[in-house]
Amino acid sequence: MRGFGDLESVIMHMVWDHGCSVTVRELFDELRHERPIAYTTVMSTMDNLYRKGWLAREKDGKAYRYTATASREEYSARLMREALDGGGDTEAVLSHFVAQMGGAESELLRTVVGRLNRRRSR
Amino acid sequence: MSAALLVFGYTLAVAWSVPLLLSRLTRHGISAGLGLGAWLTAMATVLASAGAAVALLADAAIAGWPRLAEAVCRSVAGRACTPVVYRSAAFEVPLGAAAAVATLTAVVLALRYGRTLQKAGRRTRAHAEAARITGRRLVVTGDGEAGGATVVLDAPQPAAYCVPGRPAAIVLTSGALAVLDRAQLGAVLAHERAHLAGRHHLLISLSRGLAASFPGVPVFTQGPAEVARLAELCADDAAARRSGRSALVAALLAMGTGAAVPDPALAVTSGAVTARVHRLLDPPRRGHHVRYALALAAVMLLLASLSGTVIAFAAALG
Repeated sequence: MRGFGDLESVIMHMVWDHGCSVTVRELFDELRHERPIAYTTVMSTMDNLYRKGWLAREKDGKAYRYTATASREEYSARLMREALDGGGDTEAVLSHFVAQMGGAESELLRTVVGRLNRRRSR
Repeated sequence: MSAALLVFGYTLAVAWSVPLLLSRLTRHGISAGLGLGAWLTAMATVLASAGAAVALLADAAIAGWPRLAEAVCRSVAGRACTPVVYRSAAFEVPLGAAAAVATLTAVVLALRYGRTLQKAGRRTRAHAEAARITGRRLVVTGDGEAGGATVVLDAPQPAAYCVPGRPAAIVLTSGALAVLDRAQLGAVLAHERAHLAGRHHLLISLSRGLAASFPGVPVFTQGPAEVARLAELCADDAAARRSGRSALVAALLAMGTGAAVPDPALAVTSGAVTARVHRLLDPPRRGHHVRYALALAAVMLLLASLSGTVIAFAAALG
């Protein structure tokens, strides 16, 4: 069960899981088993994703075949890069749980954690 | 003129002296919420009294300019200097030019800052959308999901952050999930939700805008770092209230080192994260808390009433 998340997200994950190109009809047939949904909803969502640059498409007979423009791993890596060493603009808008630490501080914390774990296992 | 100087002097005194006082009062992060309020009050009152000083100065200059222009005009042109000449040549033209330049500068600065904010906002929204699409939705029982969904990105390094926006998103990496137990995960989510609920990103970007507009003025240059630090402590307090202190400390250590941590009971030394750990492991006594809270509230009240009085007095004087 994928849950009732963003339809865009659900569809992107399905495209990524497929690995090869898919048509709207193929995804609609899969989705229909999970939730009540209209063919046109799937079509317009995929059209949106194409417009936003997440999907690429090429004509195959009467229908389009869609592929992801980048893999899930590439998107994750891009987001992480932006979040972790974005600096400047992004720094202002993302609130990290722990700030980036210097080598000395993380070394110190590591020592403490090591001591705690040893004490616990004794 | 003397009224403007009075307000100007008061503004300088507050802008230079209050940061010293506040950094002492907020150093240990006791009553972090009030500390945050006190810094924001200081910045707001300095801005207000600086504005009042400029307005009074402009008022005085406009009132005094005709006499000055006439005197200069007569000493140069002698009898040829009629009101028509000095009004048009020496009065209206330079004053108009000065006003135009000042207005233009203000508009350009405001536009540039607005554009920076807009760009940052666009990047934030794009980041939130990309995270929502790329990440897998995480549903945690007991987490209210107020203000935004939680998504998990596949990445080995432990990281957790929130992205403001409508809807906002909290992003966790699979590396973070791997090192956090259930209680610690709750603490991380509570911390991020406190940032979103308190609109901390707005406070931080506003204070950064002020720092960029008024370089060299301590209350504004020190503001952003202090606001960011105190917002972090406020979020820690909210998370500790919800999930317990030891779960939060364990989460900080686990996320900071990338290793799973049992309940900790040990103090460590310097650094921003270590300072937060310290503060949670060794919380201030109740009496301490009350004293700091009273002092900070007094500073806020004093700043607000003093600025109001000075401005009102100067306006009556001018």
